[in-house]
Amino acid sequence: MSEYTDDRSLPRAARAFRLNLLLQRFALVAAILAVWWAAALTAPHYVLPGPGRVWEALRLIAGNNDLWANLGITFARVSAGFAFAALVGLPLGILFGANRRFGVFFEPVIPAMNTISSAIWAIFAIIWFGISNATTIFVVFMTAMPLIITNVWQGTRTVNADFIELARTLRMPQARIMTKIYLPTILPHFFSGARLAFGFGWRVSLVAETLGSSSGVGYRLRQAADLIQTDQVFAWTLALVVMMATIEMGMLRPLENYLFRWKKEAGNA
Amino acid sequence: MDAVVTDATQPAIALRGVNKWFKSATGEPLEVLKDVAFEVPPRSILALLGASGCGKSTLLNIISGIVEPSGGSVSFGGVPAAEFTGWDTIGYLFQDDRLLPWRTAIRNVEFALEAGELARAQRRQRARAALRLVGLEEFADAFPYQLSGGMRSRVALARSLVREPRMLLMDEPFSRLDAQTRALLHGEVLRIQNMKHMTIVFVTHDVEEAAVLADQVVVLSPRPGRVREIVDVPCARPRDPTHPAVIAYIQRLRALI
Ligand SMILES: Nc1ncnc2c1ncn2[C@@H]1O[C@H](COP(=O)(O)OP(=O)(O)OP(=O)(O)O)[C@@H](O)[C@H]1O
Ligand SMILES: [Mg+2]
Repeated sequence: MSEYTDDRSLPRAARAFRLNLLLQRFALVAAILAVWWAAALTAPHYVLPGPGRVWEALRLIAGNNDLWANLGITFARVSAGFAFAALVGLPLGILFGANRRFGVFFEPVIPAMNTISSAIWAIFAIIWFGISNATTIFVVFMTAMPLIITNVWQGTRTVNADFIELARTLRMPQARIMTKIYLPTILPHFFSGARLAFGFGWRVSLVAETLGSSSGVGYRLRQAADLIQTDQVFAWTLALVVMMATIEMGMLRPLENYLFRWKKEAGNA
Repeated sequence: MDAVVTDATQPAIALRGVNKWFKSATGEPLEVLKDVAFEVPPRSILALLGASGCGKSTLLNIISGIVEPSGGSVSFGGVPAAEFTGWDTIGYLFQDDRLLPWRTAIRNVEFALEAGELARAQRRQRARAALRLVGLEEFADAFPYQLSGGMRSRVALARSLVREPRMLLMDEPFSRLDAQTRALLHGEVLRIQNMKHMTIVFVTHDVEEAAVLADQVVVLSPRPGRVREIVDVPCARPRDPTHPAVIAYIQRLRALI
């Protein structure tokens, strides 16, 4: 039976492959650092600071709580905007998919919203909300929501009519058909949309924070740039990349693997 | 339990003058079934035999109540379909297995019980018993992609049996499997039918399958689907398709379609 539950004991070949991959990753990081270090030698430090300088800057902002406080603020804003987008986008996507008339009527709105740059949303947000948390949250929301709607909407189109027929021969009530057939079918689509939206949310949150905020990573980036503290600009960027990678590989990837373990590819990955 | 009590002396299923029109792709009415009538005695096995497109699946869907006939009547144990309440005593086995890919084998079997109000623990227990019946208890926690075609068919069979139906409707069961696996599952169905005393109606276009399984074969002719002939097959079971008596029926049925 264990053969058919999640099998964690990797065969030898797979373990060797993992080790090999890890070594390759190390080599890549080392190569990038070497190139960076060499390039920094040829330029003044306020144009291109070397790895050592950036490391010192990182230690400085991490030391006085600057780093964690601002990462936390930005993370909270992105999460809030994203949560609102999911809360609005999931039901709307299902509604547009389930009701043809709604779908046809609202269809042009989504691509139109996608063409509006997040910088424009940020300007509107400053007009409406001023310098506040709401500005960043709004921009993340406006960027993430169309992505989630689009994906969920597409998900509703992949619902298998044969499964609905099966449920009808069992005389299953409509509400249960929604939760037992529609929802599981839509979930992978929602998830990939949400993932995309979360990533976009991070990027646009910085734009919003540079324009309309007095805290957060985006604000600190602009401040560092204004003061020509290039090493700090690099440090903030590095911190952000590490944080995104941690969220992606430490949270989203494992969650996705667990949720969609019934898929051939995911289950055998 | 049933609001209207079915009569055990009446045919388990009876069709009278069943007609069905569909609107075709061009918008013109298409006559798919014309004046179909037959009776299925309790605990017997009836085969619906006919060429592709002659309305066999439509007929099975009319019996199961998911398609309304345009005319005529269906009754169960003497009770007209409109007054019939025992739909949960009818099991339906589709041609394809229709297993939900995101559910394990046992959770797929439980699905058939989730239309009702049974508690979770009881659902689990009955689903396990149904999987045992088809010899798949060990694979309860496997996802469909981890099962072979034959195993998936067994899970689908378990799902259609888990509500302990008194009638089982099967649409070209196991037709996508190889001959050997199919013969194995035929034996399985006969064993379970014998044990649970079910009435079975199944659709096939395989003459041999009809002759090996059925007590009665309703041969349909196409466009529109009508009953050409009803053939009784009184051979003893288990039936060997190479036995002369069975061969004689196979030839007779083959001449009819
Ligand atoms: N929902 C529908 N709308 C319109 N026409 C339909 C519909 N369902 C079936 N038909 C038509 O009814 C006819 C009979 O279809 P049905 O699926 O009952 O055939 P069948 O005997 O089961 O065929 P097969 O052996 O290939 O499964 C076909 O001509 C089909 O095009
Ligand atoms: Mg058919």
